Amino acid sequence: MRKQWIALLALATSGLAACTGGAGGTSATENLTGQTVEVVGPWTGDEQKNFEKVLQEFKTRTGAEVKYTPAGDELPTVLQTRISGGTPPNVALIAQPGLVAQFAKAGAVKPVNADVEKAVTDHNAAVWKQFASVDGKLYGFTFKTANKSAFWYSEKAFQQVGATPPATWDDLIKTSKAISETGLAAVSVGGADGWTLTDWFENVYLRTAGPENYDKLAKHEIPWTDPTVRKALEELAKLWGDPTLIAGGALQTEFPKSVINVFGEQSSAAMVFEADFVASVITTNTKAKVGQDAKFFPFPSVAGSKDAVVAGGDMAVQFKDDKATTELMKFLASPDSGKIWAELGGFLSPNKDIPESSYPDDVTQDLAKRIVDAGDNVRFDMSDLAPAAFGGTKGAGEWKDLQDFLADPKNVDPIMQRLEANAAKAYGK
Amino acid sequence: MTPKKWGLSTSVDAAPGRSPRQAIPFLLPALLVLAALVLYPLVFSLIRSFFDATGDEFVGVRNYVDTFTDPRTLTAFRNNVIWVVVAPAAVTGLGLIFAVLTERIRWATAFRLVLFMPMAISLFASGIIFRLVYEEAPNQGVVNAVLVGVHDMFSPSSQYPGARPREGYTATEAGFAANKPVRAGDTVMLPLIGFNPQQVPAQALPASTPQAGDGELRGLVWLDVSAGGDAGKVDVIERGLPGIAVEAVRDGQVVARTTTGDDGRFTFPDLAVGEVTVRLPRSNFELPFRGQTWLGPGLITPVIISSWIWIMTGFAITFIAAGLSAIPRDALEAARVDGATEWQVFRRVTIPLLSPVLLVVFVTLVINVLKIFELVFVIAPGSVQSEANVLALQMWQVSFGTGGDQGAGSALAVILFLLVAPAMLFNIRRFRRERS
Amino acid sequence: MTLVAEEVRIDVPVSGAPRRGVVSRVFGRLGNGFVQVLLALVAVFWLVPVFGLLIASLRDESANTASGWWTVFTKPAELTLANYAELVANHAVWQSFLNTFYIAVPATILVVVMASLASYALSWIEFPGRETLTVVVVGLLVMPIQVALIPVAKLFGAFGLFGTITGVVLFHVAFGLPFAIFLLRNFFAGIPRDLIEAARMDGATEWVIFKRVVLPVAKPAIASLTIFQFLWVWNDMLVALVFADQDSAPITVALRAQLRQFGTNIDLLATGAFLSMIVPLAVFLLFQKYFVQGVLAGSTK
Repeated sequence: MRKQWIALLALATSGLAACTGGAGGTSATENLTGQTVEVVGPWTGDEQKNFEKVLQEFKTRTGAEVKYTPAGDELPTVLQTRISGGTPPNVALIAQPGLVAQFAKAGAVKPVNADVEKAVTDHNAAVWKQFASVDGKLYGFTFKTANKSAFWYSEKAFQQVGATPPATWDDLIKTSKAISETGLAAVSVGGADGWTLTDWFENVYLRTAGPENYDKLAKHEIPWTDPTVRKALEELAKLWGDPTLIAGGALQTEFPKSVINVFGEQSSAAMVFEADFVASVITTNTKAKVGQDAKFFPFPSVAGSKDAVVAGGDMAVQFKDDKATTELMKFLASPDSGKIWAELGGFLSPNKDIPESSYPDDVTQDLAKRIVDAGDNVRFDMSDLAPAAFGGTKGAGEWKDLQDFLADPKNVDPIMQRLEANAAKAYGK
Repeated sequence: MTPKKWGLSTSVDAAPGRSPRQAIPFLLPALLVLAALVLYPLVFSLIRSFFDATGDEFVGVRNYVDTFTDPRTLTAFRNNVIWVVVAPAAVTGLGLIFAVLTERIRWATAFRLVLFMPMAISLFASGIIFRLVYEEAPNQGVVNAVLVGVHDMFSPSSQYPGARPREGYTATEAGFAANKPVRAGDTVMLPLIGFNPQQVPAQALPASTPQAGDGELRGLVWLDVSAGGDAGKVDVIERGLPGIAVEAVRDGQVVARTTTGDDGRFTFPDLAVGEVTVRLPRSNFELPFRGQTWLGPGLITPVIISSWIWIMTGFAITFIAAGLSAIPRDALEAARVDGATEWQVFRRVTIPLLSPVLLVVFVTLVINVLKIFELVFVIAPGSVQSEANVLALQMWQVSFGTGGDQGAGSALAVILFLLVAPAMLFNIRRFRRERS
Repeated sequence: MTLVAEEVRIDVPVSGAPRRGVVSRVFGRLGNGFVQVLLALVAVFWLVPVFGLLIASLRDESANTASGWWTVFTKPAELTLANYAELVANHAVWQSFLNTFYIAVPATILVVVMASLASYALSWIEFPGRETLTVVVVGLLVMPIQVALIPVAKLFGAFGLFGTITGVVLFHVAFGLPFAIFLLRNFFAGIPRDLIEAARMDGATEWVIFKRVVLPVAKPAIASLTIFQFLWVWNDMLVALVFADQDSAPITVALRAQLRQFGTNIDLLATGAFLSMIVPLAVFLLFQKYFVQGVLAGSTK
């Protein structure tokens, strides 16, 4: 009985302390000793180790215990069950803005407080705030991002034909044809994974149709039968439609395999398109060195388009709004946290106040700089913004339709109709 | 046996086994757990299936209508039917055969252990194993590696796989045929592309244009690929391609054949007057045999079923072996003494005695098959996932995909439940009949 | 399982009798060699994927992605124990190994005990609504685990069972019971009525009949059930991922946390599969002698 009273008293005073602390302003070194913050995120393996170092720094600064649960692909399941069970984590990192919106509408995630919002505004281009806002309220921020506008190429294959990184889509096709003359396919497409194909489409579409149309299509305000969609698909078909340019068996090739096809011992292609994380696949699965044997060039300009970047990313959101949670969110929104992981490698941040030199090598610095420099021309991965039934389900919706398009790239009109039919159904709900 | 004090607190009834009250302590623990953790979720799902994704709005049977109008559901149904018809019967059959046969060998335990092993590997890891077993690239997938090995033993691959003329030739059934005819005295320049210069045979000599010969058709086949080289022109470092078969065709008939030399040159010395078409037979460029696309849309369901059979046979064999060991030896011996052959003993004695256990195994497998989804999810590449779709996988994606529509997912669960109910009823009926 | 030997009628034509001697014996002997070869082939067929997995666990990821496992026959230098060394050195993996025991052992024992009791009542104690109850209980067998996640989460949240081993065990018990009851009820129901009736005549209580008559006869079934129930719990990932927290996570969840974001991860998966396979195989060997043991031999003699 006595113990309970003491505990209650301690709770009351700590609550009081927290209140005064909150009123006192944003001193970086809150004392949160004895509190525990739980974080659920998608990262496993090395990424988990790196993120735990970030969390360790938070513990050092505040004294709060942080528990990290790696949920991997099952993250939506884990979060949904934990929310229904009434025991959500304090903070979660979610890769799908659609899921964030769903949780926001259900009232499960809490809007960030003013300090966090200020940090987000200060350190990021304005466009990033939109990605994490639902009905005008800010629910979080992109902590880790992916630059999805990169072509990775084999230096050896390029040398063989004396090619240089192409700056335009037409140059890319020309270079591809030159490479195919050496018996090597130009591009390896990881067509077994639908998400790589949506990334292809989004990059071309963002360039041919422009950011405004991109936003409209992402909200399904213009249909998938729009002429802008046709234009983008036709550009894609210039590459996908030539069997000598694409490595065989693309529809059975998963993303890691598509990278190995280019940089592995028995290479069958010269280029692979995908995000910065291609570098980590190269490092773990092949003997090629990133920066020497494996380099990248930004997604080329199509029909004179300006620089633009399609980005993905994991958003930090909070399910509770106690002091410790808010402090962690503040810490994650600050450049200090991102800098720790940036130095460990395999990390990009939209945070423009993380010094470029924090990134460990030229390639990563370049990738990070392109995201920050693109400013408000960054667009979030459209398929992640779409309802999951359309943009994020294996064997269904956009993934499946673009796979069918890859199988038969001449077939533009039926594909557009199918895309529209599936989109109408998914967005209609 | 004498009644002692170790009976449960229930009083000893006058007619033992006739008192409903005595059943209570036996049933209670199981029923409590089942009611709270299985029955309640089932009822919850049933109710939930009439609500929308948020769970706030009653939508009647809309989730069911949506499910049945979704073309994916039809594929899933079709695949589930294939699964149910093929897989449990195959596994029960194999289990029975192996269980009976192992009775005749000394290393029965070792054999059962081997077949049991897949069960001890998680479904996820098993899925990855079979993803690799059936991988298309012959340097990764063992099935295609064997196929390619066997194939190449009988028909070796071509010398210049994938190479093709730069332009001016049309691909036909027989090979690449020139678009323009030529005649004796002409020189044919045949630039090939689509082949790695580093793979040109070592004996190949630098290419140079042959001089026109009187009364002869001469030509050069070379690899027109070099960094900075001009397309269609013989550049300094470009080499001729030795050993390429060349045909001269007139009116659809091959009138002469030859093969290029180490410098890539070829000559047709005595062609009669008139035009011919130069053709490079397909055999020069035949792509190497790469095996079968096991994970393509056509074969994906059989492939996944085969992996499930690999996993589950250990299950069947274990239970059937347990059942076999319970068969009284006397019955078998009696039959043998009566002069029955082994086959007759098997048909007339073993099978009838085993039928209850076979049925248990079979029904369990049917239900397991209907619930299967990890294997499909892991083995089928994303591009054929819709072809390989099954109801349980669809339910998983609908309820827990990022869209998270518990309403529609619950509807699928209820449908699944209704599908299996007949199997259960059948089993129970059978028992009632047997005991009465 | 029906053990009613006396009901079996053997309708074998008498004319078959004289032929049996020579033909059948010769055929039997030839057949035995054939059976040996056939089963050996089947065993090899079953072993090849496991063997491939074993080799994969002994090579690093880049070797595994560069070529198939059979290349080790020409390049044995690629073999390494590094994958195992890494996992064994990982403290979290050891802790999770223990957790798996804490989860699998009680979940298995509880299922076997509860299901035996319930199956006995459902097959040998008469009470109104018995058939219906059986249908309902066994019908729950079809309930897919995924469907229960959300409702059970609500329940566990209310009772504070979230993130505890108790919660995970309860979930496994609940979802193991329908199959266990289905299996054991069928088995118990096949026990000759005479055995039970004789005991009742002697005035034995239900509890005594259950313990002294039914359990010994049902040993093979119970042994098989134990093995598989243990196996299913041992290899579960989904339930543990959702309901266990970091400190109570079993081996499947801990291994999963080692995986890289991209790639087949076959090196890690294979190593993990072999490490976690040891225990179920040991359990199999431990229990298999019970289910090859003659049943009636154990009870009536």
